[in-house]
Amino acid sequence: MKKQSENVKDRPRTSGRDFKQYKYFRPKSKEELIRIINDFQKDLTIIAGGTDLLVANYQKLYEIKNWLDLNLLNEFKNIKMFDDKVEIGSMVTHQRLSKLDQIKELFPVLHQAAADVGSPQIRSRGTIGGNIVTSSPAGDLLPPLLIYDAQLKIISGEGSRVVDANEFFTGPKKNILKEGEILEKIIIPLKEEVYRGAWIKVGKRKALIISSISLALNLSIDRSNLIKKARICIGSAAPVPLRIKTAEQAILKKELTEINIEEIAQIVSEEISPIDDIRGTAKYRRQVALNITRKALSEVTNQ
Amino acid sequence: MKITLTVNGEKREVEVKPQTRLLDLLREDLGLTGTKEGCGKGECGACTVIMNNKLVASCLVLAVQADQSEILTIEGLNCQDELHPIQNAFINKGAVQCGFCIPGMIMSSKQLLDENINPTEAEIKRGLSGNICRCTGYVKIIDAVKEAAHKMRSRGEDDV
Repeated sequence: MKKQSENVKDRPRTSGRDFKQYKYFRPKSKEELIRIINDFQKDLTIIAGGTDLLVANYQKLYEIKNWLDLNLLNEFKNIKMFDDKVEIGSMVTHQRLSKLDQIKELFPVLHQAAADVGSPQIRSRGTIGGNIVTSSPAGDLLPPLLIYDAQLKIISGEGSRVVDANEFFTGPKKNILKEGEILEKIIIPLKEEVYRGAWIKVGKRKALIISSISLALNLSIDRSNLIKKARICIGSAAPVPLRIKTAEQAILKKELTEINIEEIAQIVSEEISPIDDIRGTAKYRRQVALNITRKALSEVTNQ
Repeated sequence: MKITLTVNGEKREVEVKPQTRLLDLLREDLGLTGTKEGCGKGECGACTVIMNNKLVASCLVLAVQADQSEILTIEGLNCQDELHPIQNAFINKGAVQCGFCIPGMIMSSKQLLDENINPTEAEIKRGLSGNICRCTGYVKIIDAVKEAAHKMRSRGEDDV
């Protein structure tokens, strides 16, 4: 690489030392991480990719005291394949998820959703763990995680626990994480059945947009061509990413061609609880929910 | 906090606050004002730089997170007095009007062409999807990336 252009001179430093004695932690191991959590629990702000946090920080929505940066925790960046499950570290970026062939093959809906997040600049930094913990109803990876029955491993100074992703979210930007708890990894079970899935994201533009509404669908087909398990999850249309269980039930034990698409689309449209906001009205969202459910089901059933 | 990083091939050691953004470090401390601040929220792409061979919005990276990293900004793209083929293509195709978005556009184009020297129009649009231009629109910018890709292919490789 070349030398820096000579017409650019150093300016006087504006950054320098901070007179407020706040700390910036960058643990390199889980042990170090736990130590820091135990010591500073209440005053820690955890930063993963920073693509949400730094926006809020820039708008001075709150003051950050001590930072806990997870970016040097290499063990949180692993993707491990097992016979019956895949473990994805919480610090795996959208970029990696959207470029890995194994993810594309095993979990195409998750793969597609990761590729639809933000822009290249956002995908290179934003993480799956950040997407989950931020818990925005519009988080694009959340419906895919719910349809694959993902589980979340949470660690803290006191030990660890594993919860269903479906039980993690409690409201807009709210979840069951307690102070001092950190999301370590996402565990997605692998099943033998054939998956048929679809991902549809609707926003005001094609890229770099927060979803107005999204849909993730996954059908497991057993050997006798019957639907053994159905998962339909809608994003951005309720306080949490919402599985439409009535619709899921209505599809079970049928062949693909027997699905009553119109009926299912109607159920989905009725069961969501959307609000009016800058990304669309509730009425609009109900109509689009109907349309994208039809579209997704038509895609997977070739009807 | 003291950090060490390589910016455009030069080792730099800087003292930063925890909340200093990479963008502030580049512009204010190192005087590299080619990188622009637009929205400050990662939506416009004017502050795009390449960090460890990845495209990042420097307003969404803390300076301390760039510790030990390698950063390439628009200032590091040309070779002595010769512009990079992407820069030349932007001039030739008239892709620049006010110019504010261009450093970011060019860094995104560079990353795109580093990964894929023969992109389709759809791939170019996707590669530049994190960059907003408020003057000229995108037609000429896309033309410029196509021309740069063509030039760089016929030259065999990116010489920077």
